[in-house]
Amino acid sequence: MFKFSIKLVFFFLISFNLQSQENENPKSSDSLEFEEKYGLRFGIDLNKFGRTFFDSNYSGLEMNADYRLKKRIYLAGEIGFEDKLSTTDFLISSSAGSYFKTGIDLNLYKNLLGMENLIFSGLRAGVSSFNQKRHQYIIYDTNNQTWGQIQNNEMVEFSGLSATWVELLFGVKTELFNNLFLSYNVQLKLRLTDVSPRNFDNIHIPGFGRTYDGSKIGTGFSYTISYLVPVYKKKIKKDSKSKDEINEISN
Amino acid sequence: MHKYIFITIIFFLISCEPDDICSNATQTTPRLVIEFYNIENSNELKTVPALFAVGIDSNGNEINITNEIVSSRDRIELPLNGSVNSLRFKLYKNYDLIDGVTSGNFDIININYLTEIEFVSRSCGFMNKYTIEELAIEIDSDPWMNAVTISSYEVKNENISHVQIFH
Repeated sequence: MFKFSIKLVFFFLISFNLQSQENENPKSSDSLEFEEKYGLRFGIDLNKFGRTFFDSNYSGLEMNADYRLKKRIYLAGEIGFEDKLSTTDFLISSSAGSYFKTGIDLNLYKNLLGMENLIFSGLRAGVSSFNQKRHQYIIYDTNNQTWGQIQNNEMVEFSGLSATWVELLFGVKTELFNNLFLSYNVQLKLRLTDVSPRNFDNIHIPGFGRTYDGSKIGTGFSYTISYLVPVYKKKIKKDSKSKDEINEISN
Repeated sequence: MHKYIFITIIFFLISCEPDDICSNATQTTPRLVIEFYNIENSNELKTVPALFAVGIDSNGNEINITNEIVSSRDRIELPLNGSVNSLRFKLYKNYDLIDGVTSGNFDIININYLTEIEFVSRSCGFMNKYTIEELAIEIDSDPWMNAVTISSYEVKNENISHVQIFH
């Protein structure tokens, strides 16, 4: 977690840095005219991609895309798969399946002219279809000293499981180079429906993440690199109000 | 900008995953609960003086029950073994142990049962629950138990007694 905090701070530093450059060179305010890019942005979740190589109990991939509808509103979605082994004191299980999320992102950040960074909040609806395997369990029995602990290693697979949820996102997206964006977001999820195995529970849901005993809440984060394919550009002009602001700064 | 950093920190705190620890307070695999009643008044609990239980495995070896101590009481909990479907217990009345020699009157109960698993939670996994098929007092020359009834064939928890023994 700490590692990601550092990266997050780094994002902000980049943004501040670009801002200050902008402020140092105010051009003649009458001729200020910029183009804002509208288009389709494709990306890949670096965290899931990296974890697939470094964590032998996990494999997963997530592709995401967004399309700018309005100045501040983006239509966004993610599609992916996850296969994860979950181990607790008494139980080893794994789940594998695919998921799809769709919704909108709302840019809360007022960019300075010519910049396309985002601090955004998003809303998603998610659906996952998966299988779960029970690999091993130890019978939970606090009185097992007399007859001994019982362990079962018979693998049983439960298929046709599913879940739906809604998700609230909060994150930042920074344009590192022309059209190339680095993004970080955190997610808070609420499970709506569940198809879980009989006499068992969904331990990990692809796209939703781990579950909690007696709770419908889930959390997640993603660290994404994405590329914007501009479709068209909209010209924007600085209005008189912001002209005054720039004059104030230069004075 | 501070507002956004603050919100991000809040999300980070929520995202911290608590460990999966199975709390000791969680309902565990139940033991078989036997209550002792008065043979002359079947609604009245009757204490067994110096009651002590010993398990007998399928080979006939005596197995000490963990945490079992000699005491006068009208209720006893016996752990069942989920790997087998039949067990015997030696129940002593007026148990005593002097110089390695046990004294007291024992009766043997024989219990046949089925075992099923039941999901408890993500952190505790599965527990066993049992269904009593048959429970009998073995006949000996000096019995202290007179009769037995099964009050609950399902052994799912220890809140209720499963077996009543009259003496």
